[in-house]
Amino acid sequence: MALLELDGVIRDFGRLRAVSQLDLSVEEGQIRSLIGPNGAGKTTVFNLITGTLPVSGGTIRFNGKDITGLQPHRIAEKGIARSFQQTFLFMQATVLENILTGFHMECRAGAIHEFLNTKKAKKTDEAARSRAMEIIGFMGLTQVMHERAGNLPHGYQRALGVSIALACNPKLLLLDEPVTGMNPTETTEMVDRIKKIRQRGITIIIVEHDMRVVMDISDRITVLNYGQKIAEGLPTEIRTNPKVVEAYLGREDN
Amino acid sequence: MSKAQKIALGVLLIVAVALPWLVSSYTLQILIQTITFSMLGLAFASTLKVGLPRFDIAAWWAVGAYTTALLMKKTDMSFWLTLPIGAVTAVLVGWLIFMIAIPRGMMVFLLFGMVTAMAIQQLFGSVDFFGGWGGPGLVPRPTIFSHRFVSKPELYYLGLVFLILNIIVNYRFFNSKIGRAWNAIGSSLRLADSIGVDVVRYRMANVLIGNFFLALAGSYFAAYSPTVMPATFSFGSSIYVMMYVIVGGLFHSLAGPIIGALVITFIPEYLRMAREYEPIITSAAIIVMIIFMPMGILGLIDGRVKRLLSRMGHVGAEGSPKRAAI
Repeated sequence: MALLELDGVIRDFGRLRAVSQLDLSVEEGQIRSLIGPNGAGKTTVFNLITGTLPVSGGTIRFNGKDITGLQPHRIAEKGIARSFQQTFLFMQATVLENILTGFHMECRAGAIHEFLNTKKAKKTDEAARSRAMEIIGFMGLTQVMHERAGNLPHGYQRALGVSIALACNPKLLLLDEPVTGMNPTETTEMVDRIKKIRQRGITIIIVEHDMRVVMDISDRITVLNYGQKIAEGLPTEIRTNPKVVEAYLGREDN
Repeated sequence: MSKAQKIALGVLLIVAVALPWLVSSYTLQILIQTITFSMLGLAFASTLKVGLPRFDIAAWWAVGAYTTALLMKKTDMSFWLTLPIGAVTAVLVGWLIFMIAIPRGMMVFLLFGMVTAMAIQQLFGSVDFFGGWGGPGLVPRPTIFSHRFVSKPELYYLGLVFLILNIIVNYRFFNSKIGRAWNAIGSSLRLADSIGVDVVRYRMANVLIGNFFLALAGSYFAAYSPTVMPATFSFGSSIYVMMYVIVGGLFHSLAGPIIGALVITFIPEYLRMAREYEPIITSAAIIVMIIFMPMGILGLIDGRVKRLLSRMGHVGAEGSPKRAAI
């Protein structure tokens, strides 16, 4: 059974149809890429899945349950985490604090315990801290863990965005342009980590423009153009699909 | 808290307790005012953490003050009993209003706050039951075991207890997981959403805790003022509260409002000889302070202390001193 299923999903902005009758089915444990020219509606699809934008039509099912129309924090609770295209971080807080904040849903002791800082609250905080340290090590942020997020170089900020999402302990992780603006070394490291995240049993959907990365890590690729799905398949199929080539390069005979 | 911070806090506490012996009765009266204003500032600063500017401060302050004044005057109720009644009223009425305002975002919250502040002032002024624009008249002083709080030092200590309670409660919240979620909401709404923070619920909790202490500050105000009058709880007083927080230092949600309230309350008092020009000079002083100290008074000290500490090599790994300006 598919982990995530979009069935005839529509999103209109006024008279503009940004996403049109989109069917998407992502199997558990896959890395799925969502590609397409600028303005194809990729980020909109992420916003629909996470509930940031309401759908104008269609249904979204996650783990067999209908999640259409749920509020973003409810969808996060169901196990969908994301990183953003723009770098959204808690800029004033340190890297460690950022990731600890990501543990909001887990490691809870209850409001009263948290307020009084009881033994139980301290214990859960310890647990969060050790798991945060594990994520920091895994994402290669050890040297900068006490730096303020706002002072970090771009590559680290992107890695931190993914780390916060990982702290939500997701079943499905949505990554919006995870390697954009990174140098080749940083890109290779990030690709490695994304593969390792998948090995932990986390299903991943990626929106990315860097085709080498997309071809390297995707199990399957879905291509969008003007909000419509124009192709779907294995990386090798997509590479040679004439419709995709046309969407990206334009028709030759005009 | 570091050892140095604990020592500094201890010293501050001793000074606060010793103040009635150190200052004139007139200054003590102003300090009593400052305690009230500090509590108002604490509520503003706390709610600013969740990205909401509140201009309804005077409304809930008035609810506390009127509850205490009317109950003590009309039913002879003990001051201590009026405290929870005022606080619970402010929380419940607030909850009804915020239930509509908070889910609709910052702008609606801001507008609702202004309207609430103006409406409640009108209500207390124009309804006879509340005593009209002249207020309900002389309010009795609180008593404890048949001892009446009449002297200024006694009233000062009563306020000091309220203020310290407010600081402790806010400190505990700020440094718990709840405070972490508040900070998350304040710094990025969308990111907070995406990690599963129920923004509406956390904002509601924050604002209602504020209401609780605002009402407490109101009850305290009724305890030391000769009477309560609608004019005190004007919309302008809510604006003043915002200035305490900005002048004190936006990043210091506990010390900032208190320092700001102290400075802004004392400047006009030292300008009494130039009475007609006092508002102009005060406003000018505040503008100058904001230009030269955009991070507030504490922001200025922040930089100095941290530079000094780093020169002495005292700043550990966590003490990277720079904060991005906003």
